[in-house]
Amino acid sequence: MPDTGSFWIRARQVCAAVGIAAGAAAGIGWARDPGEFGFSYLLAFMFFLSLGLGALFLVMLHHLVDAGWSVPIRRVLEHLAMLAPALALLFVPIAIVAPQVYPWLAMADHPDAALESKRWFLNPAFFYARALAYFAIWSVLAWRLRAWSLRQDRSGAAECTRRMRRWSAAGMFLFAITVTLAAIDWMQSLQHHWSSTIYGVLFFAGSVWATLAWIFLAAAILRLIGPLREVVHARQFHDIGVLLLAFTLFYAYIHFSQYFLIWTAHIPEETFWYAQRGAGGWRGIGLWIVFGHFLAPFLLLLRIDAKQSMALMLPLCGWALLMHYLELAYHIMPVLRPDGFRITGLDMACLLAIDGALGAIFALFMSRHPAYPIRDPRLQEALAGAGTPPVSAPETAAEDA
Amino acid sequence: MAALRSQPLVAPDPPAELARPPLILNRRGTAWISGKVSGIAEGRAPRWWWAAFLPSAGLTALCFAMIAYLVSTGIGVWGLDCTVGWAWDITNFVFWIGIGHAGTLISAILFLLRQPWRTSISRAAEAMTLFAVICAAIFPVIHLGRPWDCWWLFPIPNANAIWPQFRSPLTWDVFAISTYFVVSLMFWYVGMIPDLATLRDRARTRARKLVYGLLAMGWTGSIRHWRHYEKACLLLAGLSTPLVLSVHSIVSFDFAASLLPGWHTTIFPPYFVAGAIFSGMAMVLTLLIPIRTLCGLEDVITVLHIDRMGKVLLAAGSMVGYAYAIEWFTARYSGSPHEIFAWENRAFGPYAWAYWTMLACNAISPQLLWLRRVRRSMAAVFLLSIAVNVGMWLERFVIIVTSLHRDFLPSSWSYFRPTLVDIGTLAGSLGLFLTLFLLFIRFLPMIAMAEIKGAAARSGARAHGDPDPPGGLSG
Amino acid sequence: MNAAPVLHGWLAEFATADQVQAAAGRVRQAGYTRWDVFAPWPIRGLDDAMGLRRSPVGWFVFAGGALGLAAGMAMVWFMNQHDYPLAVGGKPMFSTWFALPIAFELAILFGAMAAVLAMLALNRLPRWHHPLLQTPRFARATDDRFFLVIESADPQFAADRTRQFLESLECVHVEAVWEEGPCDT
Repeated sequence: MPDTGSFWIRARQVCAAVGIAAGAAAGIGWARDPGEFGFSYLLAFMFFLSLGLGALFLVMLHHLVDAGWSVPIRRVLEHLAMLAPALALLFVPIAIVAPQVYPWLAMADHPDAALESKRWFLNPAFFYARALAYFAIWSVLAWRLRAWSLRQDRSGAAECTRRMRRWSAAGMFLFAITVTLAAIDWMQSLQHHWSSTIYGVLFFAGSVWATLAWIFLAAAILRLIGPLREVVHARQFHDIGVLLLAFTLFYAYIHFSQYFLIWTAHIPEETFWYAQRGAGGWRGIGLWIVFGHFLAPFLLLLRIDAKQSMALMLPLCGWALLMHYLELAYHIMPVLRPDGFRITGLDMACLLAIDGALGAIFALFMSRHPAYPIRDPRLQEALAGAGTPPVSAPETAAEDA
Repeated sequence: MAALRSQPLVAPDPPAELARPPLILNRRGTAWISGKVSGIAEGRAPRWWWAAFLPSAGLTALCFAMIAYLVSTGIGVWGLDCTVGWAWDITNFVFWIGIGHAGTLISAILFLLRQPWRTSISRAAEAMTLFAVICAAIFPVIHLGRPWDCWWLFPIPNANAIWPQFRSPLTWDVFAISTYFVVSLMFWYVGMIPDLATLRDRARTRARKLVYGLLAMGWTGSIRHWRHYEKACLLLAGLSTPLVLSVHSIVSFDFAASLLPGWHTTIFPPYFVAGAIFSGMAMVLTLLIPIRTLCGLEDVITVLHIDRMGKVLLAAGSMVGYAYAIEWFTARYSGSPHEIFAWENRAFGPYAWAYWTMLACNAISPQLLWLRRVRRSMAAVFLLSIAVNVGMWLERFVIIVTSLHRDFLPSSWSYFRPTLVDIGTLAGSLGLFLTLFLLFIRFLPMIAMAEIKGAAARSGARAHGDPDPPGGLSG
Repeated sequence: MNAAPVLHGWLAEFATADQVQAAAGRVRQAGYTRWDVFAPWPIRGLDDAMGLRRSPVGWFVFAGGALGLAAGMAMVWFMNQHDYPLAVGGKPMFSTWFALPIAFELAILFGAMAAVLAMLALNRLPRWHHPLLQTPRFARATDDRFFLVIESADPQFAADRTRQFLESLECVHVEAVWEEGPCDT
């Protein structure tokens, strides 16, 4: 493996510097207007949280289906998931400004029948306790999965694979419950009169989509600068691309289901959520999501060889991350800025502050551990026939189960 | 592209316990596969086949008798009444259409996910899909009251100069089910062409030569043909995957597009799709576990296959369990008294027996499949698959009937009871399904021979480190 | 069979996929153009070795899908907005939203039909007769054997030289395939 130690030290310093500078700017914003800061920060936080959760899901899925091809990119995903404890710390500002962001937290004795009936769930003590539980669960899962993976780097033992599978089996249940409730707690409850049974799945689908775009970019960059040069090949890029296409469709399907059922039933207690997002500048954002989040990536990814064309995929993945941010903004920001979408300096400061902090930790992880699971039993399979890109029909490339 | 091709490094061999198991046991060769699979469709019908076929054919006759009685007498022969306008008819419809989803799951989704083990079971599952869709299509037609007017659902110009009204989910159903049937039929038939050619080339009698010759369309196995053929199969798989999602989503719209508490909820589309895959997989297991023994296919449909299908069942069952949980949660969270009542009436009302049986069968019992011992026990998986079939029928019954039988006017609350005609029609549709399936295994290649030969040759070469023996171990 | 038999080509039989793949490379190198390989299952990489282009079926499917989508939208618009407008449930006469399920299903239907029809048309199927199908040994092409045919229509074809060339490959058997007379089935 090429020596990239100095690169990671440099990356850590740059990230830390950016994080501190942007954090200071965000701090000024917080002092000036805690409410606005809360929304900007929540949006940035949810963006990075969704990447971490998507990574945790992909790692667990890898173990549960006994995948082979994704071994070379798994360590990077393990590191990304392992940002959960850091995200727990970064949640502290949200916990502090929550009463300015979530109206129901501030409405202690407000006469609101709709709220009274859901007080059993939406009450401050339970809200904070749940947040604590989510981060504990995510952190332990990410930690154990990565710890067994790192142990396998030394021993190569099958026992480690079995342990990771067991953690994933239990983890998948906990993941489904916690992600759903977290999406309800931190995003849906911004407008506590509104609810949708599919909301957790919607957040999940978008998160995994964005994570796939991220891992494509990360794999391409890490291949270019060295750490993954020997292990990530055309087949990995192809398969990430296929999953990206699948989740492009899955996300569109889930969001269509929600929108369409609310549109067609036309009950005011549900439609107000979309009515608000169909007014002013948000209408345009909705169209951007239809075309930019679904239609354009879908059409571009359709061709079988598109997934290996770096000239197409790198801009597309960057675009996907942008669209994911816009999509989260569509969920969160209309409460603060009902007249339309706007990117402010504070939004950028929050984004860069969290990015810098997490980037520094990620660089630290990357410098400390092998960049891929070097003795994973399925690594051989992932590398088999790596020089040749997959042929058109999957059946003829059927080697990996 | 050039940048993507550097020399890969050498990775360690996997420990023995993690080696990939072979797809076909006992190192059976290609000729053995052709002989074994074609043999089922050749020669005389075994005794077990007649023992299964005659009762099934009898039930089919019962199905048509019940339909004749219904059409000649009227919809009142069913147990429907004023609040429960949909009961067993639509329950059976959704039940069968759900079962019809496993074939496409196995053939299309597992195809795209590059799971070579699916080749052993895909053909039978696709056939099952078609027959289940046929069973399903009966119910919406006969529940119309005037079934002879069912062509009004299609956009056919008529003397009244009126058109179907496309704001209704029921017209979407017509398009979804018809498309699903046609596409599944094409996928099934196109996939069967090389195997029909095998039957043609093995045929001894003139009649068989003629029939299989016509069906095989002159297939020769030319590589130039395989190239277009494989591309078409890949694209059909790619089209079938969104199709299978859309079909059960549109079925769910029949309920979710309404305003009724317990029906109108946004998770219905993916929840119905997960349930469909769940029930379809269960039906595949119910049919294939006995058939693999009866037809002597243990080396092709191995314990590993049953194990993998068990895992799919577990995954789908857990998703269905998630949907049950989120329905309960959102009813409570919404604070809407109607939603809360709808849920409480399901769980603690007069149909509580159905709700809790459903929950036990669908969400709890599949969790046993976490145990490897259970997944590898044919008896256990078979019993679980039956439980899931029952549970998934009950799920549709619970959704439909509990949301209807206590409407907004307590004076019209009622308790639905099926009549003998209801029960006879359901039993008869099961007979029709089994009859078609038994005819299929008797006359058509029930396992995708060409595909499994290709997959086994490649994975066998990898697993054993040597290529498939030429000519095979002819048996 | 009234007419004199016409040579269709030479048929070489191979025992394994690797052997036929190696042979295909040699045949292509030798400059033959009217030749083909027959196998019971598609052999990975053989189409590349034969120098075949990618299958264009995908374009037909894309066109079929686009046509289906447009046809679905147009049909719903024509029937519910234009020809027979009927106010139902406070909904607009036409909206892409409720036309989408119909248009989507028709897109899939047309796309799938295009895939099957394009595959059959490009393969010139169905075909009721082929000289190879009456060669008894060729029956194993759908079972477990691999065959290579060089047709007499090939500009390089020379009855003896081509036969010797095929025999020099690692094959089990070489034999002649005859066209059938015009009066026969």
